[in-house]
Amino acid sequence: MDNVTTITTSAKKQRRWQLPVNKLLPWLLPVAFLAIWQLSVSTGLITSTLVPSPWAIVQDGVDLWQSGTLQKNISISLYRATVGFAIGGSAGFLLGLANGLSQRSRALLDTPLQMLRNIPHLSLIPVVIILLGIGETAKISLVAIGVLFPIYINTYHGIANSDPELLEMGRSYGLSRWQLFTKVIFPGALPTILMGVRYALGVMWTTLIVAETISSTSGIGYMATNAQEFMNMKTVLLCIALYALLGKLSDLIAKGLESTFLTWREKGVTHNG
Amino acid sequence: MAEPIVTLQSIEKRYGARTAIHDVSFQLYPGETVALVGMSGGGKSTIMRLIAGLEKPTSGRLAYRDPHIVTRVMFQNDRLLPWLSVQDNVGFGLRDPAVTELLAAVGLAEAADLYPAQLSGGQRQRLALARALLAQPQLLLLDEPLGALDALTRRNMQDLIMRICAERHLSSLLITHDVQEAARMADWIIVVKDGTNVYQTAGAKGQGPTVVASVGEDVLQVILQPAVTP
Ligand SMILES: Nc1ncnc2c1ncn2[C@@H]1O[C@H](COP(=O)(O)OP(=O)(O)OP(=O)(O)O)[C@@H](O)[C@H]1O
Ligand SMILES: [Mg+2]
Repeated sequence: MDNVTTITTSAKKQRRWQLPVNKLLPWLLPVAFLAIWQLSVSTGLITSTLVPSPWAIVQDGVDLWQSGTLQKNISISLYRATVGFAIGGSAGFLLGLANGLSQRSRALLDTPLQMLRNIPHLSLIPVVIILLGIGETAKISLVAIGVLFPIYINTYHGIANSDPELLEMGRSYGLSRWQLFTKVIFPGALPTILMGVRYALGVMWTTLIVAETISSTSGIGYMATNAQEFMNMKTVLLCIALYALLGKLSDLIAKGLESTFLTWREKGVTHNG
Repeated sequence: MAEPIVTLQSIEKRYGARTAIHDVSFQLYPGETVALVGMSGGGKSTIMRLIAGLEKPTSGRLAYRDPHIVTRVMFQNDRLLPWLSVQDNVGFGLRDPAVTELLAAVGLAEAADLYPAQLSGGQRQRLALARALLAQPQLLLLDEPLGALDALTRRNMQDLIMRICAERHLSSLLITHDVQEAARMADWIIVVKDGTNVYQTAGAKGQGPTVVASVGEDVLQVILQPAVTP
């Protein structure tokens, strides 16, 4: 017993002296990049009016925050993104469920949906602007359309590819249709559906960026176009950084969803079955 | 002599033009364990699937003594739900003292909160057995459930199944490739070949050994084997 404790503590001590190389390594290049960038601007190697230093961008962010424009634009963008995602996501999910579960619904809807899917949704921007103007509805609809298809496809495939052996087992074990859905079909489809969610979150941001850049008077995308007109590189780069952060945020949300709903997959396969 | 719980009479099952089984006739009596042995593709699983009601015979008579009979199949691949914990697998999420009791009966009480991926092959089959028992079936249908287990685990599972069947007066139909297993577990053995039951050993309930069709060399070998093993 004593031996064991000594061994573990000494192992811990040993580890404390080593640099956690594997944890630091991924950050090496980004940090080096920022450092070199900052240095090149500070030393005048790069013209700061053309390419501002990272620090200047941060300061620009602080200024915009203090004047209130930054929060306002971020929240309007977040609002468009979430509402568009909620509408398109639920529509795609419901269509996927219907077509995955019902032969009749599939026969009616799958082919038209597959045809529509081939239209790049961003090509609809002019149509949407003509029909809906440049108001909120236009941007929210574009996000919704963009998000709908990945969620639809993944829900549909996840449901339609339910394991026939598990279905047969469930039926022969007397499960009701509802139980069959909640205990067998849906949990089996969930990994595929969440993959669709993750992908759709990416589509959501790209769509919003494009929509706000082309036709808007608010939002992060508008901030960027507006800054571009004044040749304000600081704010343009700040907007790009914001998009990256928001993208990272949705990635974390997707990961969070996966680890909440797919705990069973993380339970290691300790034995072969 | 008790009334058979299941009677198969001249059963035929075709899939399109393909005849999976034909002229299958036998009876299962209450409390009996009957083994179906025979070569791969002979039609054993098809017979079981028909009895389980998973499919309907093309022709012939399949009659149950009790039309509301509860049967449960224990499949070769355990068909556990990987997203449900051990205890939730037993009753599909139902939390009931009966679930706890069954888990204890198959020796999985400690593992109640694990997931199937964390179980060994033998434990997975125990769980599948517990799940099959929850509805208190009168007839247990075992389609080679022990095929993938090592010799010792397999023997323990055989004992467990026999004990549980005896305790609960369960009838069971066991498909196996292992003639020793059949001899050890079953009251009598049915040999299935080319889609029909060609031979059955003497049954405990008084049926004599019956040669239903002409028996080939290969089948005789299968039949004679259990005679030399205890
Ligand atoms: N769904 C099906 N469609 C077409 N043919 C089938 C189907 N199910 C079974 N068969 C055929 O019926 C025959 C009997 O199959 P079955 O699965 O009952 O054999 P088995 O004795 O259980 O074999 P094994 O020992 O390999 O499991 C085989 O020739 C098989 O190809
Ligand atoms: Mg089989």
